[in-house]
Formats: sequence, structure tokens, C-alpha cells
Amino acid sequence: MVKPTQGAPRRRIAPQVIPQVITGLEPGPFHARIAALNHQHAWTNWMGFASPAVLDSVEFEYFAIRNQTTLFDISPMCKYAIEGPDAERVVNRLVTRDIGRLSPGRVTYAIWCDEDGQVIDDGTIFRLADDCFRLCCQEPQLAWLSDIAWGFDVTIRDVSREIAALSLQGPTSAALLRSLGVKAIEALKPFGIASIRIGECEVDVSRTGFTGDLGYELWMRPPDAARVWDRLMAAGDNWGLRAIGYQAVEMARIEAGFLLPKIDFLSARSALRTNRPSTPFELGLDAMVDLAKPHFNGRRALLRLAGERPARKLFAVEIERDKPAANALVYHRRKREVGMITSALWSPTCKRNIAYAWLDAPFGQTGTDDLWVEIYLQREIRWERRMARCRIVDKPFFVHQRRRQTPPANM
Amino acid sequence: MTGAPDAIVIGGGHNGLVAAALLARRGMRPLVLEARNHAGGMLGDAEFPISPMPFALRPEICRALAIDVATRPMETIVASPLNSLSGTLRVSGSRLDGGSPQQAEAFRQLVERLARQAEALSGMLLRAPPRLDGAGPRDLLALAGTGWKLRRLGKVDLRDLLRIALSNVHDLVEDELGLGLPGALLAMEATLGGAMGPRSPGTVLTLLYRMASNGGRRMMPVGGPGALTQALAAAVTRAGGEIRLNAPVERILVEGDRAAGVALSNGEIVRASLVLSSAAPRTTLLDLLGPGHLDAEWVRRCRNMACTGMVARLDFDLLAPPRLAGGEVLEADQRLVVAADAGTVETAFNAAKHGKLPDDPVMEACYDAGSRRLRVSVQFIPHSPRGGWTEANRQMLETSVRRQLGFVLAGFEDSVTASRMMAPADIETAYGIPGGHWHHGELRIDQMLMLRPFDGAAGYRMPVEGLYLCGAGSHPGGDISGAPGFNAANAALAARRH
Repeated sequence: MVKPTQGAPRRRIAPQVIPQVITGLEPGPFHARIAALNHQHAWTNWMGFASPAVLDSVEFEYFAIRNQTTLFDISPMCKYAIEGPDAERVVNRLVTRDIGRLSPGRVTYAIWCDEDGQVIDDGTIFRLADDCFRLCCQEPQLAWLSDIAWGFDVTIRDVSREIAALSLQGPTSAALLRSLGVKAIEALKPFGIASIRIGECEVDVSRTGFTGDLGYELWMRPPDAARVWDRLMAAGDNWGLRAIGYQAVEMARIEAGFLLPKIDFLSARSALRTNRPSTPFELGLDAMVDLAKPHFNGRRALLRLAGERPARKLFAVEIERDKPAANALVYHRRKREVGMITSALWSPTCKRNIAYAWLDAPFGQTGTDDLWVEIYLQREIRWERRMARCRIVDKPFFVHQRRRQTPPANM
Repeated sequence: MTGAPDAIVIGGGHNGLVAAALLARRGMRPLVLEARNHAGGMLGDAEFPISPMPFALRPEICRALAIDVATRPMETIVASPLNSLSGTLRVSGSRLDGGSPQQAEAFRQLVERLARQAEALSGMLLRAPPRLDGAGPRDLLALAGTGWKLRRLGKVDLRDLLRIALSNVHDLVEDELGLGLPGALLAMEATLGGAMGPRSPGTVLTLLYRMASNGGRRMMPVGGPGALTQALAAAVTRAGGEIRLNAPVERILVEGDRAAGVALSNGEIVRASLVLSSAAPRTTLLDLLGPGHLDAEWVRRCRNMACTGMVARLDFDLLAPPRLAGGEVLEADQRLVVAADAGTVETAFNAAKHGKLPDDPVMEACYDAGSRRLRVSVQFIPHSPRGGWTEANRQMLETSVRRQLGFVLAGFEDSVTASRMMAPADIETAYGIPGGHWHHGELRIDQMLMLRPFDGAAGYRMPVEGLYLCGAGSHPGGDISGAPGFNAANAALAARRH
């Protein structure tokens, strides 16, 4: 035993034990229900929440989106309430399109830019009342919104945790809601919002989604989340309802022509290299930019950029044969490197090999011929390289007339 | 003036007047709108000038405006409140009297060297700052000119400049002059009007900035600051411009992303396609123009400008002209600097930095014989002292200033019959300058040249077409040089030619 040394009395310092901060993923409002169905135990990190990548088979889940109806938890989306007398001015200052044309009870897709006209993020804007908006997007925007709103009479709140949300997508989604006695969907047009009840729970429904098909998003209070889920699931058998994971949603997203930050483009707020962010014109989102409206963030830069040829541009491309070309390089005449593929997919519904490609000017803008994609294939542990011809096509790859039909079809 | 104005200048301070006079002389009809009842801004109030000791205008500006303001150099008396009898120096340019011969020689060498270095840099003052993006051939030529002047300093001076430019004035004077009054004077010269202490990095640069005008010698227009204001106002009206007093501007009008005029606070609208504002950048951009016309990043940089002032002004009415401890009268062409050494200047700054009133404030003062007033600029008084500007805090400030002056002026306390005070917060309110800063924004390396008033806003021209900044917040900055107004008017004229 070691004896304390003589001399100065030793002071006992009681260490203050702080429990280690948990750095894992947080369960979302539907977690218990999803976990019970997650036979793959495959979770991904979506804004700190455990989000299912795939529950049992991505093929089943994908075809459920296209042929039945599906439930996907979108609660991790960032959601902000923008309210007050200047709310419309603030939202109009934020986004590049004219928000004055958005009536209460309607939703729109919008993008916003920094002072250099480079895209920061995209999202959907819900106009809940004249002076009350909700912004839904992928990445946190509170600091940016505070900067935008400085000097205006408006309150901005992060309501991400106050709202649980489900995406109900698929051809039979309207029939499912109908079977639950939801009348409001008959008159609900695409991008409309209505207040409904599912069981005892108050739910806001918007006819929005990322699949290019009939579908809804349901917004509710987190304590109601499990009850709404149970009601939908109980009624869903007749309509082929299936809970799905992120991978299937991603397939439908590419088919429907939507871009994803961090995959297809990089936010100007997170890019370090000056040539990494992209302008709306480079992303092919010209229609989202209303240069005629009064000043909004980045307008002067966009006015200048509108007169210039983009240095590069994002295109929808179709590639020959069937192997997806994710992350492949694009060549002109098989020789000169002129771009790269971001998202890519063999589309089971379109029966086409589709992708998004960044092409340096002038390729895609004037010279569209003789473009090739270099695909690496692993066939039974052996890598092979394949040059596949690609051509530029129109977006979206998939959109069904059901998406717009009002009242919605009873499949 | 006949007919409607074709340019509006917001603010009739010296920079606004210089800008208006130049526009008028180039054939425009500028209208100067001044909120207060006098022109001249912070030096124009005959009763209580905020900066009573102006540097003279740049001679190039006087020539361009055809004005002739007679000036005379002021002698500086540096007095230590610690040791009033032996602690007094007289300084005129690089000449120092009252100290040891060694002190005088070291002072002469240092001041002459700084003056040469400042002169080499001074070419930058009367030009728009170099651009960070897309510099044209003219910009590069101008930069090359300054580079050539710097090269001609010679190896020793240039190397020395590069060594000291970003360092602090405290270390410089300690190395070159040792402790004592000569260092106190240069520490005051480097920091007066700003919110940096002698030990703050970059204060040598502010000293060089001061030295770039008249070799660092303080000048006083014959007839006082008022004479300068009158000469500038006369230059405006003589060339066909108009000055309207008591006409505070409430808002800058914008139509189709172009400046269209201004709305006065009485509701009157004055239209013009060119608007120059000599108000502080924050006032101009965030209050008069409004954040809705600016990008969020721009607004953020503007909001974050360092512009908290640390000068309080006090006036003392005296029964008799003030006398130094040795018995001589403080003459009208002398200024008095009260500080013992660079260390005491730093101590005063340290208190102010933490929101406290310094126990032993440092200051400069001059005596106006006509009104029998001693005008004192007290350096390092916090903008927002703890507890705010209560009566108790005001009393404490006045008491400490009187005590310090009592040490260096014989019979001062008994001679005072009345006093008035403007704390930085009062200057902010009275003149609409955020932070009450003399220079509308701290003169420091990250707010100079192409970073003045802030990154992206240099070059006088604002994002709204036809709107220009022409006040001290813009390059080259504060003090009574007239250069920001002159450069801004030139920029506006150049843009009209295109």
C-alpha cells in the first residue's frame, strides 16, 4: 500500500462525473412502429434521427410506391415557421420566385441563393395564412433565416421537433384516405393544403411529394404520431400499404426529376471550394427565378449571371444498356473528360437507364453529340470497364397524369 | 440654384460639402440636406464642435475646389499629470523641446522616418481603394505607383515599414523613445478618435495614417474650424449647389433598383437620380436605405462593422485663459496633451474596454479665447459604461477630467465657471453616428482600403444604382481630410460618364 507522503496535507478532489453525451441517433416520433417492421435493421442518419434505409426489400418497397401506396417518415426534415406582418416580405426576400402569387392554403417548391447567386438549398414553402408560412427543407437554415429576416417584423421558429410528418405516396393513396372518411381530398389539388382528421387526431394534409405520382404528406403533432400511423396501417391492407425506407424513396426521387443537395449539388453554405456551389441556371432551374420581382437575395448577381453562359450545367441523361452509372465520368468522343454523373438508376418503371450529369460548357448546351459514360462494373469479383453512349433528355423521367387529376383517381 | 437638383448629398459635414462642391464644379446641381441647424457636421457647431482640432484639408482638394483656407500649424504641449513641473514637452513637427538632447534626437529621427513612410503610402488616400476582384489597368497602375514610391524609400526605411506596419505603437515608442512623454504623444496620436489602445496590433498603421497629412503636424484653419466649414459651404453655393439646413432625411427612395431621391422627415420628397450619403455606412444602408434592398450577407457585414467610439467631449468655461504649471498661457495655436506615457494611455483603454471609466483619463485640449472655453477631447471613455450614462457616471467622468487638468494647469479648478459634456452615446444621438465614432468606423487593418467600410462595400458605389457613400466610413477614413467625399464624388462622376 502506498502511504501518502508527509508534508502538505493532500486535498481530495472529487472528480465531477459528467455522463458522456450520447452521440448516436435519436428515435423519431414513429420509431417504435418502424423498428418493429425493420427486418433489415438498416438505419441511416437523417439529421440525427434514425431513418430506415430499407425495411425488408428495396424492390418490394419501390414497386409499392409505383403500384400501391407507401408510408415514409419525413419527420427529420427541417421545418421553420415564419410569421408576422412582414412574413411575406421576408419569404420573398429569401426565395428566387415570387411568393406574392402563392395563396394561403397552397404550397410551392422554391430555391434560395446567397449574394453571389449560388444556390443555398431548396425546399417547399407552405402558406398557411396571409402572414404565416412554413418552410420545409433538407438542411438547417435557422442562422440563414435570421440573417435574411434582420430588420423585418417577423418571428422565425424552428418547429422541426414540433411537427411529425409522414409521406403517403402511391396510386392508391387517395383511396386509402377516402376509406378513412377523409372528404377534403376530393377537392384538394396538387400543392393544396387541407385540415383533416384521422381518427381523433388533427392532421394537416398537403398534396405534395417526391415521386411524380399521386401522393400526400401528413403533418401532425408528435404525440399523435403513433395513433395516426396505426390508423393508416389498419386501413391499409386493402390498398397494399407498405412502410418503406429511404432507398426506395431515392429511386422514385430520381425518376421524378428532383435534385438532392449534397448529392446532385452542393449548398453554397457548405462548399469550401469557390467553384463547387451552383447557380439556378446551372441546375436548370431557370423557371424558379423571377428576376422581375423587387430585390431578393442574390438578385443582382443572378441578373448578371442570366446574361452569361453557365460554365457547366446539370442535365438529365439516358445511358445505353442497363448498368447504373453512379459517380461515372462523362467523355466526349470517348476521349476528352467533360463531366460527371451524380445520381443514377436503372428505372424499373421507365425501363431506362437514367442519371443526372454535370457537363462542362459547351457540352450539353450546344454540343450534345458523342457523349460517353465510363461505367465500372464488378462481375463476380472482377472489375470491367464499359464505355456507354449517353444522350441528353428532358426531365422528369417519370410523371403520371394521376398526379394532377382532381378529384384523385380511386385505384 | 435654379431648377431641380440632379444630385442629393445627405449630410452637410465636411465630406458632404467637399463632395457637393466637386459635383457642382463639374456642372451638376447638388442639393446638400443637413439634419442639424448648421453645416460642417461634427466640427460645424460653433457652440460645441465635436472635433475642434481638425487636420487641414488635403491641398489637392483645396486646389480642385478652388478654395483657400489659411492654416497654421499648432504647437503641441505634452504634460504629465504625474509630475507636472518637470513633465512638460513642446513639440512642433519633429522638433521636441523641453527634454534631454538625446530624447529630442530620438524623437526627431523617429518622426521624420514615420513621415517619409507615411508620405510613400499617402498616394493611396486620394484614390479609390484597390479592388480585390477584377482590378482594371488603372487600378494596377495606381498600385504600381504606390509600390514605386515605397521602393524609393530605400532598403532601410522600407524594411522598417514592413516590420512595424502591423505592430503596435506602444512597442514602437518603447523601442525607439523609451518611457515618458514623447511616447505618450505618439500613443495618443495613434489612438485618438478610435477604440484601440496603444498595445493593440495595427496602431502603427493608424499613426502612419495621421502622419500622412501635413507630416503629422496638427493644423488649425485661421479663424478656427468654423472658417473651414464656411469656406467649404461657400464653395458649394458659389459653384451652383444648394445647402438646406434643418432638413433631416428619413429614407432613400429606390425605383427599379436605382436611387430615385430622398424623403425628408417632414414628408417632403426630393427627387434625383444620384444620391451621395456622408452619413455613417450603417445609418445610410440600414436606416435610410433599408435592409430590404440589400443582400443578407451584406447587411450582416454592415451590422458587424466595428464603430463604437471612445471619445467624450467636455467644454469648460473659464474665468481666465488657462496657464500651464510653469506659468505660461495656453495659446490659441497650441494644443495640450495630457498623458504621462504610453502605458497610462493603455491603462485608460483597458478600463474603457471593460465598460469602466478610466481613473486617470488621457486627453487633448485647446483653448478658444473668443468664447473662453477649454475644449477637451477625452480619449477612452466607453460608449456604454456599466450602468449606462447615469448622472453619477457623468459626474465621475467630469471629476476625473478636472482632476487631471488640475495637475497640469495652474488654478484650473477655481477658474471653471461652467461645463458641458457629450459622451460617445450623446454624439451618437446628436449626429446620428452609430457608436458615436469620430471616423464612422474603426480605422484598423480589417476596415481599411478595400475593406472599408466593410468587405464588398468599398469603392463608394453601393449595390443600388446611383447611391454612393461619401463619408468618413469610406476609404481613406476619418479626420478632416475631405478625401472620402472627394473620392466618392469622383467615382460618381466617372460612373455618369460611362
